[in-house]
Amino acid sequence: MSRKQRDVLSVEWVKLELIRTAYATRGGLFARMDPRMVLAWYLLLAIVPWFTHNLVTVIGLFVITAASAALARVGPLVLGLFIIGFVGDFFWAFAAAWLFGGDAGTALALVELNLKLATVSLASIAAFVSLDPESLSTGLLAWRAPELLAFGVSYGYRMMPILFEEFGVVFTGLRLRSAPGPRGFLGWRALLRWGTWAVQAFYPIFLNTAKSVRTTVESLETRGFTANQGRELRISQLRIGVLDVAVVAVTVVAVVGAFELGAVVTLG
Amino acid sequence: MASHHQIPPTQPPSGATPIIELDRVSFRYPGAERDSLRNVCLRIDEGDFVAVIGGNGSGKTTLCKTFNGLVPHFWEGEFAGEATVAGIDTYESSVAALSATVGYVYQDFQNQLVRPRVRDEVEFGPVNFGMADYAERALEAMHTLGIDHLADRFVWQLSGGQAHLVALASVLAMRPRVIVVDEPVAEVDPAGAHALYERLTELNERHGITVVVIEHHAEFIAQYAKSVVLMDDGAPVWHLPAPQAAARAAELAAHGIPAPQIVEACEGLDLQAAPRTVDEAAAVLRTAGAEQRTTWPPIASASSDAPEGRVVAVARGVSHGYKSVSGELLPVLDGIDLTVRAGDRVALVGGNGAGKSTLMRLLCGLQVPRAGTITLDGIDTRRSSATKLADHAAYLFQRPEQMFLKDSIRSDVRMFPAGRKRADADALVDRVLDRVRLADLADRDGRTLSGGQQRRATLAIGLAMTPSLLLADEPTASLDVASRNSVIDMLEELRGAIDAAVVATHDMHLVAEWATRVIVLGGGGVLADVTPTELFASDDLLAGAHVVPPQVTALGRALGIVPAPLSVAQWREAVVLTETEVRA
Repeated sequence: MSRKQRDVLSVEWVKLELIRTAYATRGGLFARMDPRMVLAWYLLLAIVPWFTHNLVTVIGLFVITAASAALARVGPLVLGLFIIGFVGDFFWAFAAAWLFGGDAGTALALVELNLKLATVSLASIAAFVSLDPESLSTGLLAWRAPELLAFGVSYGYRMMPILFEEFGVVFTGLRLRSAPGPRGFLGWRALLRWGTWAVQAFYPIFLNTAKSVRTTVESLETRGFTANQGRELRISQLRIGVLDVAVVAVTVVAVVGAFELGAVVTLG
Repeated sequence: MASHHQIPPTQPPSGATPIIELDRVSFRYPGAERDSLRNVCLRIDEGDFVAVIGGNGSGKTTLCKTFNGLVPHFWEGEFAGEATVAGIDTYESSVAALSATVGYVYQDFQNQLVRPRVRDEVEFGPVNFGMADYAERALEAMHTLGIDHLADRFVWQLSGGQAHLVALASVLAMRPRVIVVDEPVAEVDPAGAHALYERLTELNERHGITVVVIEHHAEFIAQYAKSVVLMDDGAPVWHLPAPQAAARAAELAAHGIPAPQIVEACEGLDLQAAPRTVDEAAAVLRTAGAEQRTTWPPIASASSDAPEGRVVAVARGVSHGYKSVSGELLPVLDGIDLTVRAGDRVALVGGNGAGKSTLMRLLCGLQVPRAGTITLDGIDTRRSSATKLADHAAYLFQRPEQMFLKDSIRSDVRMFPAGRKRADADALVDRVLDRVRLADLADRDGRTLSGGQQRRATLAIGLAMTPSLLLADEPTASLDVASRNSVIDMLEELRGAIDAAVVATHDMHLVAEWATRVIVLGGGGVLADVTPTELFASDDLLAGAHVVPPQVTALGRALGIVPAPLSVAQWREAVVLTETEVRA
């Protein structure tokens, strides 16, 4: 056995990927847009698939969001998780159709539902990967979301790397100070151990975090968070430009195109 | 004993206008059995630089929280008396309104930062209050503190010292007239602490901002404060100008504030003086005729010629680095060669990011190097798992609470030996807990202990692993002077229990009084591998390592004593007043 420093599929990698995703460090088309327009764009693509049962239209919409996800430069972690979920769903759809005595029609109906879900997922991935916490929170404010929700989003993002770091340290402590054991068949004993540690790690993390949050709450109070007069100022930082209008317009045209295509072409 | 509370505390004589006035203020936290503040009368003048000192539980923090209305508006307890800040009665006002006048920087300032990027963080206050000029205010605050270049950084990318300045900038953006800083030295390295105090002094002198600090360290009080408030049992004992306060060394020591080393050094020569800085002390001592004793240095004992100890850990050509957020590899260590032998007490020093923690994680096998090999007790760390290597090396994390995985100290200490089914686990746990003097507290959750006790608990966890090599990351960080000394003593006593110890630290008292070997890391390599005496004798090394020598060592150098003493005890052996010698 020889150990090696691993840069992919390690805890450190997951942390970096989460940071890259949360803070939109990869850039991409939507990261340059006004957050209000990104949210509007997302709502459009999240709602539209539910208004059709035409498989061609659904495939068309899926292609649009897949292209958007590519333009948004979605990272390997999020994309990998999405594909695992997507492929898994198809597998279960066919298994269910077969087990419960369904025919090709049943399977096709399930495929359509899964494609719709995948379309909406891809749209949310493309949108939220591109919004860093500040613009997301300002965008939410602009669309009249409560101040607390907008702040919660921003604060959640700020805490995420810290919590993940804390988890890594506590998990390491558990790993070092627990007894080494056999790996078991296909490593199932090792997996079980890791699972147990992951759960045990929450006890210290919760207590450590609860202690530190007290300062945060006091500090929010002293810095006028509850005074709540900053909404207009935050929104006034936003600008809708040519790019924003163009992206939304192209998307609307593409969506209309998908519906037209569905009316013309029929499958099977 | 309560008699001094009836007498109004002495006021520093001055014609300045008061900015904070407390008149018979008492406060009791909800559910508490006694008052945290008892009949406090206090006046702080505009433009003062006040240090609030006192033991744990003396009411320092509660006092400072009355200044910005957190007491009694956020902490709604029983409040009596009158507190006036800049002419506003705090009881009639609110925390939000008062925050335009009083800024508060917390001891755990990292938790005060609530926004992802520095600029947003500094703008946060002004934006919340709907100030249209929030951007200028933020720029001005960052510029005043010299952190303009950090504006676009993420707050979690900052070093401790930088984060502290950002927290300060974020309250400065409100253009307050008073700034309260709770224990500025606790969480940053000595160089960072001095930098922060310099900034505070500048704010005080150039911008006329009244500064209130809660501080344990006499050397900082002596050097920077204009007046000192001593708190005891919920009320001020006195409020005196700094020089007069510093002269009451015995009283301060009784309240848990040992005198600065330079004052102790003068006392050691029976010299009545309260110098504020090393230069002042050197001038006083020169006039008094302080000289090196002819018996200094003592003839080296035979132990230095003793045969070298067994090899515990070896690093050969070790290089390591991490991936950054943007994806490139950031090299940290580059071709390190190092041997740690039994009996070594190694201090790893170097600036932030010099690779101290990385080297320690590699030495204990938590990670393996990208290039080169680490051999621990004869085992190549690549050929074993981190869990198995934990039998040979124990690694103590920087923040003690990260090591408290169970609900009591005893179960935390027991975890390792019991998990490995050691027959004598219980006896070992008892022995170790006795050794760190925590047997009485063994059933408490580690998080409920004081800072010094927490550190000792982590040492116990390490000792129960019976390692050959003990690695500790900043074991004395954020401790007050007394707890720090007790941790240093405890490390000193470990001699028999472990073969070798490696400690990453910024604390030069620890280096001076404990280490036998100092390894200075910088630029990815080992800049020097020397004794503490050699480190403190070289200005180049000190600068390269980003460290400041202990006061008594700096004083020894200033007086031309070779080798410079490392502790006050050594100072007494090394220096004598010439007059005394003549008389004798």
